[in-house]
Amino acid sequence: MNFKLVFNITGRVLMILAATMLPSLAVALYYGESGAPFLYAMLILLAIGFPLSRLPYEKKMFAREGFFTVGLIWLLMGLFGSLPFYFSGCFNSIVDCLFECYSGFTTTGATILTNIEALPRGILFWRAFTHFLGGMGVLVLTTALLPFMGLRAHFLIQAESPGPVFSKLLPRQAQTSKILYGIYVALTAMETLLLRLVGLPWYDSLIHAFSSAGTGGFSNRNASLGAYGNPAAEMIVAVFVLLFSVNFAMYFLLLCGRAKDMLKSDELRFFFALTAIATVLVSINIFPIYQSVWQCFRYGFFQVTSIISTTGLATADYMTWPVFSQVIMMLLLLCGACAGSTGGGIKCARVLLSLKSIVREIRQIIHPRCVSVIKLDGKVVPENTLNSIALFTVSYFLISFLAALVVSLDNFSFATSLSAALTCMSNVGPGLDVVGPSGNFAAFSDLSKTVLSACMVIGRLEIFPILVLFSRRAWRRT
Amino acid sequence: MIPAKERVFGLNIIIVGAGKVGYTLAEQLSREDHNLTVVDTSEDMSRRVSDALDVISIRGNGVTVSALEEAGAAQADLLIAATDLDEVNMVCCLTAKNLGTKYTIARIRNPEYLENLGYFKRDMGIGMIINPERATAREIARLLRFPSAANIESFCRGRVELMGFRVQEGDFLVGKPLHAQADKLKKLSMLLCAAERGDDLIIPNGFFVPQADDTLYAIGQPAALDQFFHTLGRYTHKAKSVFVVGGGRISVYLAKLLEKMHVKLKLVEQDEERCRTLSELLPGAMVICGDGTDQEVLDSESLTASDAFVALTDRDEDNLIISLYAAQQGMGKVIAKCNRQNYASIARSCGLDSVISPKQITAAQILHLVRGMENSQGSVMHALYRIANDKAEALEFTVSKNTHHLGVALKDLKLKCGILIAVIVRSDRVIIPDGSSCLQEGDSVIIVTRDHAILDLNDIFDAPGPVGG
Repeated sequence: MNFKLVFNITGRVLMILAATMLPSLAVALYYGESGAPFLYAMLILLAIGFPLSRLPYEKKMFAREGFFTVGLIWLLMGLFGSLPFYFSGCFNSIVDCLFECYSGFTTTGATILTNIEALPRGILFWRAFTHFLGGMGVLVLTTALLPFMGLRAHFLIQAESPGPVFSKLLPRQAQTSKILYGIYVALTAMETLLLRLVGLPWYDSLIHAFSSAGTGGFSNRNASLGAYGNPAAEMIVAVFVLLFSVNFAMYFLLLCGRAKDMLKSDELRFFFALTAIATVLVSINIFPIYQSVWQCFRYGFFQVTSIISTTGLATADYMTWPVFSQVIMMLLLLCGACAGSTGGGIKCARVLLSLKSIVREIRQIIHPRCVSVIKLDGKVVPENTLNSIALFTVSYFLISFLAALVVSLDNFSFATSLSAALTCMSNVGPGLDVVGPSGNFAAFSDLSKTVLSACMVIGRLEIFPILVLFSRRAWRRT
Repeated sequence: MIPAKERVFGLNIIIVGAGKVGYTLAEQLSREDHNLTVVDTSEDMSRRVSDALDVISIRGNGVTVSALEEAGAAQADLLIAATDLDEVNMVCCLTAKNLGTKYTIARIRNPEYLENLGYFKRDMGIGMIINPERATAREIARLLRFPSAANIESFCRGRVELMGFRVQEGDFLVGKPLHAQADKLKKLSMLLCAAERGDDLIIPNGFFVPQADDTLYAIGQPAALDQFFHTLGRYTHKAKSVFVVGGGRISVYLAKLLEKMHVKLKLVEQDEERCRTLSELLPGAMVICGDGTDQEVLDSESLTASDAFVALTDRDEDNLIISLYAAQQGMGKVIAKCNRQNYASIARSCGLDSVISPKQITAAQILHLVRGMENSQGSVMHALYRIANDKAEALEFTVSKNTHHLGVALKDLKLKCGILIAVIVRSDRVIIPDGSSCLQEGDSVIIVTRDHAILDLNDIFDAPGPVGG
């Protein structure tokens, strides 16, 4: 492992992180609140980041350095990002601060706060801003801003961006990162404007735009987006979370005028088909409660998009809905968004490929000598990709169940324990029962909160970058 | 074989590559009295060609200017590039065209080049692209669409079809002269235009008595032919599922055609790597990795559940043996690829009707083109098919104003012996001619001939007559 390089990059990322606190500081000062929590945090970040970034390093970078750096940085980001929360004094313990911050960066949106509206606006802004940063990824931002001359920066992005296959949009990584962030910022700005137009205040518009851009789920209101009772805002958010759960490479195709290629994407079609089917099923299922087609669609559509995109904003409490709808929500939560988006979960591409593998397996039993390849978007998927998808899925469930085992020590209901682990792993936010849309994670023990925080990071980085950190081989010098 | 008509000058033709197709072409074209030069890089091949055929044989690389100049590319009317390598064929055509050859034909077989064919024709000066594998696949697909026939050729954009079938013991045709069956045959818009008995080819008249094991050729409208096979009790529906052994290029082309026809396909191929590629190329087909000559494999993949069987491995012997096995298992339609002429006739005698040879399909294509070039002034030849083991030809012409005897009733015309005017297509109407029919300008005529190489429609008349109607 090329540690000097790892630490150098870490140093640069920490400095970028310090810079990202500036908007929150400005908001705090604008509303006449104390800027001290942010100033302290920035000073600490600079004090550690600057010397690290001065370290001389060798330009040897391989996949292991990429994975290791990303894992390390995400752990540190949570630590340092929680500093403003800690200095603000609004949180009960360090564990709570960490939980909230990891939940923000990983775009989970699970909270331990019981009365959100009591917090200072600057802190709430930072809380939502972590969604925005974590959605596209801090390393993508770093590669877009700082030149990594001669470095194989794609190893970093590869480890950070979700999905089974990583697609390079442009020959140079810095350009790719800039385009990704450009699309991301443009879409977020558009959403903010639209929300403002339908009557949300500027501040609330921004918070909810950040929250849906990262497919996170933090709101500045206790009742989440439902607090406004504004159907237009709900529809805007529902549509935008869908847009943010689409592979960003699709927008790149769109910008290049290749809309046809975009519509041919198997994953995209699977994702939209799934959303449509779930919306219809849920809407029909909840009809007895709302008694109006429009209301059923309004709540059904919003909740389905919110869960499948792994956002977790709420306009209605689905714990009051029939169990059928709740189970659909849990299935969508596992499936998650498209690869290469800001959403979490197992990812549609993996689910689709797993389904195809299953069909092939059945065929293979009937015709043992039959040879068939699995294709995605008309291209053959290599066997080792399929194997790693299978492994990923198994690890995903294994880790979720182990986490549920630890959480179950708190002795909540079975549904609570399991859904809490799954929702953190999938970066969604709400689960069932105690952690349902109207509940929160405040009641859990510190141990559970720590384990769940770990789940969020493992889920966000898709398991392996974090596991690499715990491999003894990775720590050896090379 | 058809003796060539006497001609003063043939065309100057260069053939590059004396492989299977090149050799067959050289053999047939030299028999039609063209001046041939064969270029091949191998010493052995060159000697074989010059020993066996009446051609000039040059040892050299056909892509080099020197070899082509030596072969006379500057004065040549036609160059046929038929080496194993597509790219060599292309460069060869390009070079020859620049040296002054009038027309070039390239054999291009790689399916991946299929989409570029337009560019090749335009930018590389290739006049015609022949793809034996693709042509063979088309032929097989046609047979699968109509399994009753042993072979099928189509004329006038599918308005008329020519089908061969084997007469079996117990068919109503057997043992009675055709005129005695007039009630059954007359009302159908079709004609029995040729019969093959052993090694003889007969152009049947009313007194012809069909016997079992004859191969008869029926020509007419597709619907009428359907009707005929119904009457014969031999009608089978279009194959819905096909079992193919061998995963070569023909199989790929065939699979693509079958996919369009919504036919299910099971493909057995031995090489695992090739299987992967096939499965990638043909998402609709079921690709099975195994030895297609192994009965165990065929049975475990339930061979007989398919409607038709096609053997397309590289080895003629394997193809014939597994086809015989499939036929023995009672499969409705069995098609075997076989390049060797002598095997094909043995196979036919064992009851395999549909034996196809890519080599011959290609040769027929080129022959058609060469005859057309020779006869650019006269009536236009649209199609040429060789039937009954090359013993007869079926040709389609358009009647022009230069055609003799226009408007004369056929009963008053003297045609050369062994020539039959089988079908006249007049403004979309298919006419089976009788004595009172006559030729008119603009008609399409399909001629079946046994003894003559016909270049022009006027060649069929015994005596020249007045031109124009």
